[in-house]
Amino acid sequence: MIRLKNVTKFYRSLLGNQYIFRNLDFDIPSGHNIAILGANGSGKSTLFRLLAGSEYPNSGQVITNLSISWPVALSSGIHPQMTGRENTRFIGRINGVKDLVAYEKRVVAFAELGQKYDLPVATYSSGMRPRLAFACSVAIDFDLYLIDEVTSVGDAKFRKKARKALLDRSKNSNVVMVSHEMSEIRQFCDSAIVLADGNLTFYNDLEEGIRHYQAL
Amino acid sequence: MTTVTKRGPWIIWKDVIFALFAREIRTGFSDKLGISWAVVQPVLFIFVLSFFRGRLDGGDTHSIPTFVFMAFGMIQIQAFLQTFTTTSASVKKNKSLYAFRQVQPISAVIAKGLFELVVKIFVVLGIVLTMYLINMEYQIANPLAIIFYFLGLWVFAVSMGLIFGLLSLYVPEITKIQMLFSRPLFFISGVFFSLQDFPKEYWWLLNWNPILHAIELSRYAAYPSYGNAGVSQNFFFMVVLSTLFLALTLYHGYWKQAINR
Repeated sequence: MIRLKNVTKFYRSLLGNQYIFRNLDFDIPSGHNIAILGANGSGKSTLFRLLAGSEYPNSGQVITNLSISWPVALSSGIHPQMTGRENTRFIGRINGVKDLVAYEKRVVAFAELGQKYDLPVATYSSGMRPRLAFACSVAIDFDLYLIDEVTSVGDAKFRKKARKALLDRSKNSNVVMVSHEMSEIRQFCDSAIVLADGNLTFYNDLEEGIRHYQAL
Repeated sequence: MTTVTKRGPWIIWKDVIFALFAREIRTGFSDKLGISWAVVQPVLFIFVLSFFRGRLDGGDTHSIPTFVFMAFGMIQIQAFLQTFTTTSASVKKNKSLYAFRQVQPISAVIAKGLFELVVKIFVVLGIVLTMYLINMEYQIANPLAIIFYFLGLWVFAVSMGLIFGLLSLYVPEITKIQMLFSRPLFFISGVFFSLQDFPKEYWWLLNWNPILHAIELSRYAAYPSYGNAGVSQNFFFMVVLSTLFLALTLYHGYWKQAINR
């Protein structure tokens, strides 16, 4: 379970503070694969970043004892001057992966980079870099994966593979997903959180959530 | 399996700082000269400058060899300036890594600071080695005191770097002001001239500067005959401690909001 306790979040702007959430109390239950639904600008990405711990609320807390991934396939942590292997080790160390050698093996098997794995990332083609980033996140066993429109990674073949890997993952652990593709959401998720006017509503049944979302 | 271990906050810090440190060493120098340049360049610089300075006074400055006099000044001012500028820049430079919740700005600052410290230790070793090879005589009466002054200066530089790095996320213009005031530090910190070379009634213009204190004190620690006129160990360590306190206070209060920017 992830507990949002009295969370207030705003962004400063020239027009004063733009509030996303005000004194929000909400429990995100465990054991569900949850889709976050909401219109543009309703705070989906903000909620996502709060869950990931990439940002912090202005007041209040996000409390959990789950191990949560960073946004899957986010490639901003990959350094272009380091090789794929060095980047893998860096990410593994930061996340506290127990067995770095096994982690490397899983990443290299999944990313299909071959020899390029030991070359600097700067020499990779534009499709290979997100593949490495995706492999790095999916090769760690988290309790909860945060997925942001992930299945757009790489070519058709890799996309299929990524989708399958995430589906496998969503059986043993859980996912929280942001996407505008309803077909994708139906494939991964069983329940939904609908965001409207800074309020969160949990729907145990995905279809019910989608109906409420489309009625907004 | 590649499960993640549940780690205490200290262990996470240690792991993250180590990972960032290793990344720094790997990517800090990407050309052929590599990491050796970080040591060779300042050693050369110090040699050339002290050669010219030595012409001015025939090789002795207030009872210590001019080369040693210059080396103390140059090493410390360079250690301060480089540690200060790189640590303050590292707050913004590592911004993309804050997407990992384990990485906090202070880890980036500490990793960068440690990296600079290691480089500077090698610079010192390089200078000592060169002095040994050209048979230059020198004396170090109180090595422990020198180490303490050097570490104090390092803590001061990292604290200042943390303060300015944090401020620059709120006010980007701060980096320009930082450049403006760090330039003249080279000339007012007693690198080329001792505080004793200035008339006493103008000391107040210079002796507010803790770097000057560190440089003069460490010369005195090496050669007691040099004297410690106008500088105070108490003042130096009080400034270091207050700066560290201020930096940690500001950091504790503002880092979470700072990384949203």
